[in-house]
Amino acid sequence: MNVFNWARAKSPWLLHFNTGGCNGCDIELVAALTPKFDVERFGIRLQGSPRHADILAVTGPVTLQIRDRLVRVYEQMPEPKKVIAVGTCALSGSPFKDCYNVLGGIDTVLPVDAYVPGCPPKPEAIIDGIAGMIQRRRKSELHGSDK
Amino acid sequence: MGYGSTVKVPFGPQHPALKEPENFLFEVDGDIVVNVTPRIGYVHRGIEKALELRSYIQDLYLAERICGICSHAHTTCYTQGIEELLGVEAPPRAKYIRTIIAELERLHSHSLWVGVAAHEVGFDTLFMYTWRDREAVMELLEAISGNRVHYAMNTIGGVRRDISAEKTDKIRSSLDFFEKRVQEYLHVIRTEESFLKRTAGVGLLKKQEALDFCAVGPTLRASGVKNDVRADDPYAAYGEIPFEVIVDDECDVLGRTVVRCKEMLESINIVRYALDKMPEGSTRVRVPMAVPPGEAVSRVEAPRGELIHYAKSNGTTKPERYKVRSPTLANIPALCKTLVGAHLADIPIILAGIDPCFSCMDRMVFVDVAKDRNWVWTMQQLKRNTSR
Amino acid sequence: MGQTSEVTEELRAAFKDSMIEVKAPRERRIFMRIKKVAFQETVKRLINDFGFRHLSTITGVDLGDQVEVIYHFAREGAIELSVGVALPKNTLSISTVSGLMPAASVYEREVHEFLGVSFEGNPNLSPLVLPEGWPKNVYPLRKERTFEELRQIGATK
Repeated sequence: MNVFNWARAKSPWLLHFNTGGCNGCDIELVAALTPKFDVERFGIRLQGSPRHADILAVTGPVTLQIRDRLVRVYEQMPEPKKVIAVGTCALSGSPFKDCYNVLGGIDTVLPVDAYVPGCPPKPEAIIDGIAGMIQRRRKSELHGSDK
Repeated sequence: MGYGSTVKVPFGPQHPALKEPENFLFEVDGDIVVNVTPRIGYVHRGIEKALELRSYIQDLYLAERICGICSHAHTTCYTQGIEELLGVEAPPRAKYIRTIIAELERLHSHSLWVGVAAHEVGFDTLFMYTWRDREAVMELLEAISGNRVHYAMNTIGGVRRDISAEKTDKIRSSLDFFEKRVQEYLHVIRTEESFLKRTAGVGLLKKQEALDFCAVGPTLRASGVKNDVRADDPYAAYGEIPFEVIVDDECDVLGRTVVRCKEMLESINIVRYALDKMPEGSTRVRVPMAVPPGEAVSRVEAPRGELIHYAKSNGTTKPERYKVRSPTLANIPALCKTLVGAHLADIPIILAGIDPCFSCMDRMVFVDVAKDRNWVWTMQQLKRNTSR
Repeated sequence: MGQTSEVTEELRAAFKDSMIEVKAPRERRIFMRIKKVAFQETVKRLINDFGFRHLSTITGVDLGDQVEVIYHFAREGAIELSVGVALPKNTLSISTVSGLMPAASVYEREVHEFLGVSFEGNPNLSPLVLPEGWPKNVYPLRKERTFEELRQIGATK
C-alpha cells in the first residue's frame, strides 16, 4: 500500500453537506466530533473545503435548488473520493416524498458508497458507517485494486 | 480580497439555490453595515403543501421533521391544534409528559446553541464541554422515547409512551449533574474575557425595537420584554407549574446567552416539579380519523421562541390548510435591525445570536455603497478578513 | 374565559360596521372576519386602541374563488386574535400593513409568493423562499396546483 492510500485509509477527511434536511442528522454528525464519541481518534476530521476532502458525508433529501451545488461540490473533490449518505432522507428522501421541492435520495444525483439509515442515525451508527467504508477500502487495497 | 464578485449570506438551515442565492444582501460602508435585505433561501421543501396531501396522523410525522432540533415543539403545537378541532383534550398525565419532554428539548437545544455560539467566537473548548454535557440530556431522551432526536412522543390525543418510576430516578440524577454544568457555563460566559469581548455590547436590540419588530423567544427576552408563551398563553401543563420567565436588560448577544443559560436552570426546575406532581391516569384518548370543519391557532414556546401553527379542517381525514411559522422567521426583521451599524466581524455572532436553526452559513453578499464595489465572501473568508 | 369574552364583545361593538363575524371558541382565541373596505382602519385601531401589538404571522388560504388573508395578532403575548379578510381572486390585492408593523413585510412576501396576493405599498415583494427562476403566476399553495405539476416545474429548471 503506498503512502497516499495509507494516509487516506488512516486519516480520512470528511466534508459534511446538508442538502435540505431538518438538521437532525447534522447535529448527530457533529456530535460524533464531540468528546463522548470523539471521531477524531480514528483520524477522521471534518474539513471545510471539498478540495481537501476524501469523503463526502451528505445529509438531507436533495432539494431541487441544491442539486447542482451538490454535484459541483462532488466534482471539486479530488479522486479517489467516497460518498456516504447519512440518514433516511439521504437514502431515499422518503420522509418528504410528496414535497414538491424534494428530489429524493442522494443516489439520484451522485454515486453513493455507503448508506447509514436512521432518522437520524445515532453518532455510533454514523461512525460505524464511515469506519466500515474505510475498512472495505483497506481490504481492497490489500488485494491490489483501489475501489 | 476579491472585488467584483458578490457575496451572499445564506442564513439558517438552508442552502444556496441553483443561481447565486441571496439570503442577505449587506450594504456596507467600509467596515460597517449600513443596510440589510433578507432573502431567505432556507431549505424549502414544500411541507405546507404536503400536509394537505396526507392524513392527520401521517402529518404528525411530517410536522416533526420540520426541524430536528425542536421537533417536539412542532408536534406539541400540531397535536394541540388538531385536538382543539376535534374537541378533545389530552389527559392530564399526557400534558405533564409533554411538558417534561418539551423542557428536556429546551435543555438540549440551548446547550447545543451555547456550544455553537462559543464556536463562532473561537471558543472551541466551551463548545466541546457543552456538547459533552449535553449527552446527559440526549441519553435521557433516548431512554424515555427510544430516539435521541425525533422522539415521537406526541400523538393526537396524548402521548405514545409513559415515563416509568425507574426512568424518573434516572431523570433526576442526570438533571442534578446537568444543573451543575449549566451553572458553570453561566459563570464562564460572564467572566471569560474572550467570550465577553465578542458578545458584550454586540448586536444591540433595544426594547422598543424588539417590540416593534415583533421579535420572539430569548432574543426578545434579552431585550427586557417579559413575554413567554408558556406563561402568557399556557398550554400542556404549564398553567399548573410555577416558573420564572427569564429576562435580561443588556439587549446584546451576551444577554441572549445569559437568558438561555438561566432558562436551562429554569427548565430543570420545571421538570423536577412536573415529576413530583405528575398525575396518575391514562396517557392518551382515542380520536377519530376525520376532523370536523373548523379552524384553530396553536402556539408553543419553542426553544427559539413563539412557534405558531394555524389549522383549518374540512370534515375529511386531511387538513384543508396548515400553516407553520417558525420562530427563526419571526426574528429575521429584528435581526436585520441589529445588523445595521454592526462591524463585519460581528456578523457571524449576531446571526448566531437569534439561534437560527443550525446555521450552515455559506456565502455573503457585500455592497460597498461609498466605494461602489461589491464582492462575495464565504463565512470563512469573512472571519479571516475581519479577525480582530 | 372572562377576559376573552370581554374583549370579544368590545371588538363586536367597536367594529360592528366593518365586521362580518367574530367568535371566541376558547379562552385566548378570537377569530374575526372583516370586510376588505374597512381593513386599514380596523388594523390601525386594533394596534393602537386595543393593544394587539404583536404580529405572529400572516396566513393565506385558497378558498376557491377567493383567497383569505388572515392576520394573527397577539395582545401581551396572551390573547391571539386572528383577523381574516377574503379577497376575490380577480382583484387579489390588499394594502400593506408594513407601515404600521415592520415585521409584516416578511410575512406579506411569503403570502405573495405562495398565493399571489398583492400587498399594495409593500416596497419589496420579491420571493422569500422559492428559488430564482421559479415561474411567475405559479403559486404553490393554490388548490389548482397539484404536487405533480409543481414537481415537474422544479425538475425542469
